[in-house]
Amino acid sequence: MDSAKTKARITIESELLDSILSAVAVVDREGRLAYCNRAFAQRAGIERGQWVGRPAAELLTLLQPRLFPADVAETSLRWSNDEKESMQEVEWREGERTTHLREDSGPWRDAQGKVAGRIFLYHDISREKEIDRMKSEFISVASHELRTPMTSIKGSIDLVLSGFAGQVTSETQELLEIAHKSCDRLIRLINDILDLAKIEAGQVRFKKVLLDLTDPVERAIRGVKPVADQAGVSIRLVRPDSLPQIEADKDRMEQVVTNLLGNAIKFSPENGEIVVELSLHDHWVQCAVIDRGCGIAPQDLEKVFGRFQQVGEPSRKGGTGLGLAIAQGLVHEHNGKIWVESQVGKGSQFLFRIPAAAVKASG
Amino acid sequence: MTLSKVLLVEDDPDIQVVARMSLKVSGVPEVVIASNGEECLAMVRQVKPDLILLDVMMPKLDGYETCRRLKADPETQLIPVIFLTAKAQHYEVKQGMELGALGYLTKPFDPTTLHSQLLELLQQNGS
Repeated sequence: MDSAKTKARITIESELLDSILSAVAVVDREGRLAYCNRAFAQRAGIERGQWVGRPAAELLTLLQPRLFPADVAETSLRWSNDEKESMQEVEWREGERTTHLREDSGPWRDAQGKVAGRIFLYHDISREKEIDRMKSEFISVASHELRTPMTSIKGSIDLVLSGFAGQVTSETQELLEIAHKSCDRLIRLINDILDLAKIEAGQVRFKKVLLDLTDPVERAIRGVKPVADQAGVSIRLVRPDSLPQIEADKDRMEQVVTNLLGNAIKFSPENGEIVVELSLHDHWVQCAVIDRGCGIAPQDLEKVFGRFQQVGEPSRKGGTGLGLAIAQGLVHEHNGKIWVESQVGKGSQFLFRIPAAAVKASG
Repeated sequence: MTLSKVLLVEDDPDIQVVARMSLKVSGVPEVVIASNGEECLAMVRQVKPDLILLDVMMPKLDGYETCRRLKADPETQLIPVIFLTAKAQHYEVKQGMELGALGYLTKPFDPTTLHSQLLELLQQNGS
């Protein structure tokens, strides 16, 4: 390409970059500001001509009082030898006004493919943040507004059933028990809908600790035992002598296994057995919940994690239709994988894997 | 351990009835009701309850702020506070406990076991 064409191309590229709303800055291998577009210069309040070619660290010192949190801002606009792309969120505070920015950065490669520096892009995500806040507020308000009437309906039925308001006839008792059971079902459904909404909105705050998956699995088995006993289904746990720890939220892991077991119980024949098998696969701790139910046809396998999806003929009723969708959401939030393998007429196994926690080198 | 007087702070009139009946039927002789945090603070010194059962989302003054003010006042800071609320996320429970509450019960609650759950929480904390 001749120099006139090259010059024209650079002009077009520069004009394009100056026309976008996101701020762009490039730091070269020596840590100097190699380029910044108009949006960057405007946000930073700098004269481009004066700063291009100067150390980016000096510019960062100038900008840092406006960047929050400080530890995140520390890593912003810095040359690093890391060739990976990265993303972080920073707050830009200008007086009373706070703008939420997402910083995407990645290597800048020259024509030969060699890393010549690092490109930083700053997108204004204040609107998305506001929507997130509104979603969060909606979930919180909906949760309160739905639970409050349920509390008085269920509480009143409980009190009447307990005989507080006087003796009830057997017919009244039967009708109240139906109302009570339906209340419980509605509460489970409200909880599941809100839970799924929170997971999907990224609103669940996980209490992740190092743990052995056996512990929440055993707790889940104990928790569903009364339901399994009632259905005439037994549950057997198979596990190796030791498993590496995972970094996970114990209650949420228990919830995943409880939901998978609830599904397995629903589809197990009477006197059937469910096997829960824990194992290690490379760097993944795996849990398989295996039933001997009707199985799932290949064309339906993808549907099972959908909301309110009923695939196959369950042996008994129950569940909200959201259990597997919630399990999937929770496993994904733990950087894990979840899937199902099945044979029609033979049964299904639902498997999930969570990465084993990295073992810190001793000494 | 027995509870002779509970101050129930709850804005929903139906839940007030259910919780009051639940406590009365299980042997609490007196249940005094406040409809929000402001009312609670206004009457707590006079009522002198053994326990305050406190909702979180209420008009005028919410449960968290009410708890904070109760714990900041030397005259009321020793009265045990237990939250009874629909806000049940980990961080919400943590926020309540950090304010000095003794425990956290979530709605919907079982009225047939509410009293025993309160006593259990009081015993666990040696109150």
